[in-house]
Amino acid sequence: MQPTAPRNRLRKMLRVGIPVLLTVLLAGCLLPPDPKTEAGRDVFNLYLVVLALAAIVFIGVEGFILYAVFRYRRKPGDDVLPEQLHGNNKVEVVWTLIPTVIVLVLFVVSIMTLNEVEARSENPGVTIEVQGFQWSWNFVYEDGPTIGPRGNEPPELAVPVGEPVRLILTSDNVIHAFYVPQFLLKRDMVPVNENGTPNDIEFVVSEAGTYAGQCAEFCGTDHAGMVFTVNAMPRADYDAYIAAIEDGETPPTGGGDCETTIDISANNTRFDIDEFEVPADTAFCIAFENLEDVPHNVAILSGSEALFEGSFLNEAGSIIYEVPALPAGDYTFVCQAHIQAMAGTVTVTE
Amino acid sequence: MSARTMQAHPSGEHEAAAAVAHGQSGMPMALVGMLLFIASEVMFFGGLFATYFNARAGFAGTWGPPEGGHIDLPLAAVLTAILVASSFTMQFGVWAIRRGDTGKLKLWTGITLGLGILFLAGQLYDYTELGFGLSDGVFSTVFYTLTGFHGAHVFGGAIGLTVVLARALRGQFSRQNHVAVEAVSMYWHFVDVVWIALFLIIYFLR
Amino acid sequence: MATTTLEPRAGSYHRSWVLDWLTTVDHKKIGILYIVNSFLFFFAAGFLALLIRSELAVPGMQFLDQNTYNQAFTMHGTIMIFLFVVPVLAGFGNYIVPLQLGAPDMAFPRINALSFWLLPLGGLLIFSGYLFGGAAAEGWTGYAPLTSDRFAPGVGTDLWIIGLALVGTASIMGAINFIATIFKMRAPGMTLMRMPIFVWTILVTATLILLATPVLTAGLIALFIDRNYGGSFFDPAVGGNPILWQHIFWFFGHPEVYIVILPAMGVVSEILPVFSRKPLFGYKAFVFATVAIGLLSFSVWAHHMFTTGAVFLPFFSFMTALIAIPTGIKMFNWLGTLWRGKLILATPMLFSLGFLSMFLIGGISGVMLASPPIDFHVQDTYFVVAHLHYVFFGGSVFGVFAAAYYWFPKMTGRKLNEPLGKIHFWIHFIGFNLAFFPMHQLGLSGMPRRIGDYSPDAGWTILNMVSTVGAFMIAVSIIPFLINVVATLINGEPAGDNPWEGNTLEWATTSPPPPHNFDRLPPIHSERPLFFLTQGHGHAVERPEDLVEEEIVDEKPGDIERRPKDLV
Ligand code: HEM
Ligand SMILES: [Cu+2]
Repeated sequence: MQPTAPRNRLRKMLRVGIPVLLTVLLAGCLLPPDPKTEAGRDVFNLYLVVLALAAIVFIGVEGFILYAVFRYRRKPGDDVLPEQLHGNNKVEVVWTLIPTVIVLVLFVVSIMTLNEVEARSENPGVTIEVQGFQWSWNFVYEDGPTIGPRGNEPPELAVPVGEPVRLILTSDNVIHAFYVPQFLLKRDMVPVNENGTPNDIEFVVSEAGTYAGQCAEFCGTDHAGMVFTVNAMPRADYDAYIAAIEDGETPPTGGGDCETTIDISANNTRFDIDEFEVPADTAFCIAFENLEDVPHNVAILSGSEALFEGSFLNEAGSIIYEVPALPAGDYTFVCQAHIQAMAGTVTVTE
Repeated sequence: MSARTMQAHPSGEHEAAAAVAHGQSGMPMALVGMLLFIASEVMFFGGLFATYFNARAGFAGTWGPPEGGHIDLPLAAVLTAILVASSFTMQFGVWAIRRGDTGKLKLWTGITLGLGILFLAGQLYDYTELGFGLSDGVFSTVFYTLTGFHGAHVFGGAIGLTVVLARALRGQFSRQNHVAVEAVSMYWHFVDVVWIALFLIIYFLR
Repeated sequence: MATTTLEPRAGSYHRSWVLDWLTTVDHKKIGILYIVNSFLFFFAAGFLALLIRSELAVPGMQFLDQNTYNQAFTMHGTIMIFLFVVPVLAGFGNYIVPLQLGAPDMAFPRINALSFWLLPLGGLLIFSGYLFGGAAAEGWTGYAPLTSDRFAPGVGTDLWIIGLALVGTASIMGAINFIATIFKMRAPGMTLMRMPIFVWTILVTATLILLATPVLTAGLIALFIDRNYGGSFFDPAVGGNPILWQHIFWFFGHPEVYIVILPAMGVVSEILPVFSRKPLFGYKAFVFATVAIGLLSFSVWAHHMFTTGAVFLPFFSFMTALIAIPTGIKMFNWLGTLWRGKLILATPMLFSLGFLSMFLIGGISGVMLASPPIDFHVQDTYFVVAHLHYVFFGGSVFGVFAAAYYWFPKMTGRKLNEPLGKIHFWIHFIGFNLAFFPMHQLGLSGMPRRIGDYSPDAGWTILNMVSTVGAFMIAVSIIPFLINVVATLINGEPAGDNPWEGNTLEWATTSPPPPHNFDRLPPIHSERPLFFLTQGHGHAVERPEDLVEEEIVDEKPGDIERRPKDLV
């Protein structure tokens, strides 16, 4: 039985290696983006459950196929027929039950999550009509301004964080779909006749930031170019943003437009850097990330006078601060909740 | 793998194949084909009826012909009577040939064909009187599509009847051999049933 | 080795062979016409796929403009489904079903020829949009109101409608033919529950075609009326309802998915037992599951419409979950067939095992999509593109190649070369997974389908590149296949009547069969009528040919039960 030895080893390697490899593959990737809304978190968790079930089925069945290929492969010259098994009722009942149980579990957890996603609050913080057209978007604020495409820039949907945002999705042309991958949510924007009601969605953004969005229902030639961004910000910033637009000013632009961005993160009541340098007389951005569930912010002080106060992140999350231009000189940056422990120097150079 | 073969018999022993071909019992093949065809037609009209119900359910305002148009219930009732009558005359023809009575077959087929043509003529006349066209809104669209496609099927049936009549006149049918008559009559009854559904839904219940 | 003739052209007097093929009503020749025609369309649509993948390899528009891209994926999807997968399986059905039934031909040979010839006509009409200002570019699903004359004024969309209506009519006629053949032309002794499983899947498929396709025809007609005669079925501006189109399309479209997969399941269910040298595990359960899938497939259409906000989610989600159960049963039956078998890993078997492992992935992602909240995230993204290719390509097309390698000897009398076949399989298998597995992740991270361009900042570039490499590998894998076919036709190993020791009736006649198919039929006591003949009592013995000959008795309807069942 000499030649079977290496074969056995190979077999063993495959038997262990392949499931491990596949588990790593399945677990390492195949995930949606980190959700930025509350319901998105529920969908993400549902997805994890479903992915786990899927992985079990996948590994079980593929594993058996591989096993069968190696274990039951006919040896050369073996002309004896295997047992002619036609079936087995007991086994068949069992394997009717297995998929039945799996899909029923899936169905129940799905409907539970669906109720979360479809929940509507009585008084949403803001209500915005999203109009899709070929090939861009208008965001019509209730009792407020309308934001559309700005030249070649994709339009920006400003929303407050931490409160329900209701979107009414309309179209008077073809079908589009509102989709923000980081919200794990999309819904079609169906043109309706006089008798129809448009779709709506509602979500609570849990984290300030800008998120890419895109039309997800094919809508003609330039469908691929039908993009937008969501700019989620604290209520105060949101109000200022809307007010600026109503006054005809360009709203403070999102972090994407900063020439200089400084990355700062906070953890264990410490900043990760203790100094940074920026050019004088130019606005810049701070991409601030809070890694713990302790309130932090970033403020820039000249002596004890605050030149800039960023809004607080009360739990883990990230935000982009837009800091106005500063004259050349030395300043300090601090977390206003932990002025002693969290401070550093800012050098503004000509 | 070794090729293990069964030698085919070299020459003309076709009994087995012939047995298969002749071993058909029960319904003749042509009728099976016709029944299946009718099943697909049922689904086709099912689809068209679905558009009707959908349009009706989503319609704002009162459902019916547009401003200035009307639909002619009495005329439609007469047409219904004609088509239903033609179903009976068709069946009399079938019963006749089942008895082997070719003369009656010719007579009844002729009458059926006449009624069918009368129906089509009546429908065309109706179209000219209604005062609205296909592009005048949702009701108009589904109305003309449904009645129009039904009319086209009546026309197809009339062609079938003409063929049956021509073959009957040439004496091609007999008591044993009249599958075509049976097939065309099946189709004709089907077209009739569709019309009754149409009449009830579009004209009567509205 | 068989001593039968390889060429059936004994009686070809001076009629040219071209005319012969053009006017044939022989189900075997029509079957081959179907297959060859389908493969030509496969290559055309595959070429479009390569264009699509080349464009997507890196961000930015390189080869195509948006409009050309949109036409490319529309034509790719339409042609692949309506002119490749459905007809190629119908082609195998055409060739094999009468043989497996022990019948001399299909029920309506002339209608059979007609329904074939409508196919190239319809396909060319669909493609001909390219000659008249641009092919249809609204996706293979043609959602209203994008397809209205307002948003898609080109004649390409009208040609698409007419072509599809023709192809649909052809497949309805084909379906009538199959059903009539199966019900009326079975050999004496072949009860419904002794039919080969492939015939069962064709029967259910044909029923689905018969009942689903006319609904699409009605929808296409409505669309044509909207576009050309001022109708207002689907245009909300004049009181219509665009969602109605989706209902109609998917009422047809979901059964269509099973129309595409069921025959491939049938093929695999023929091959796995033969190459495991065992019967199919749970024949009855398998038949039951096939019928159940057929029935359920009419009640799940709206799971393609979860994000429209216009359907009752729990119902359609539940029905979709239900349809996974019979599918799961089938999977277990296949595994049970392998269990304790003696597996012969010839090319048809490799493609069948490929089918099992790839269709599984498509099935799993399908069940994931049945969950509305997950669907809200991945609907209309590359996750769906991955899913549909794992089902259509990993499922059906692997089944098609399995069938091609399995039945090629029967059709031509020659066996395809095994080493070349294995090369084909492995490049194909690896390329397929490279091309389509990364799409799952692309979709999960939010890349929508049907876009010719994407942002370099989106983080989708690497996976798209991998996918494109895989697509080209698939294309390369076709080369050994083509070489194999041509070389085998010229100078292949003669196959004999039954090279794989198959147990169904097509192996009981010569390769290729004579025009009337059978001179004599063996007795039929099970779904494996040849098993007793080739295998004796439980072990493969070298049987003298004449002994086999003795078993081939002429059976009359009366003596079906002459032989005790337990022999079989
Ligand atoms: C050569 C191998 C193939 C490659 C590389 C390929 C690639 C692709 C890609 C990249 C798309 C997405 C296009 C987009 O959404 O922008 C697509 C769509 C599609 N493919 Fe394939 N495909 C292949 C074979 C097949 C086969 C064999 C079938 C079917 C039987 C098929 C059916 C479809 C369908 C139905 C669509 C959707 C079209 C639409 O969105 O309207 N493909 N294919
Ligand atoms: Cu759009």
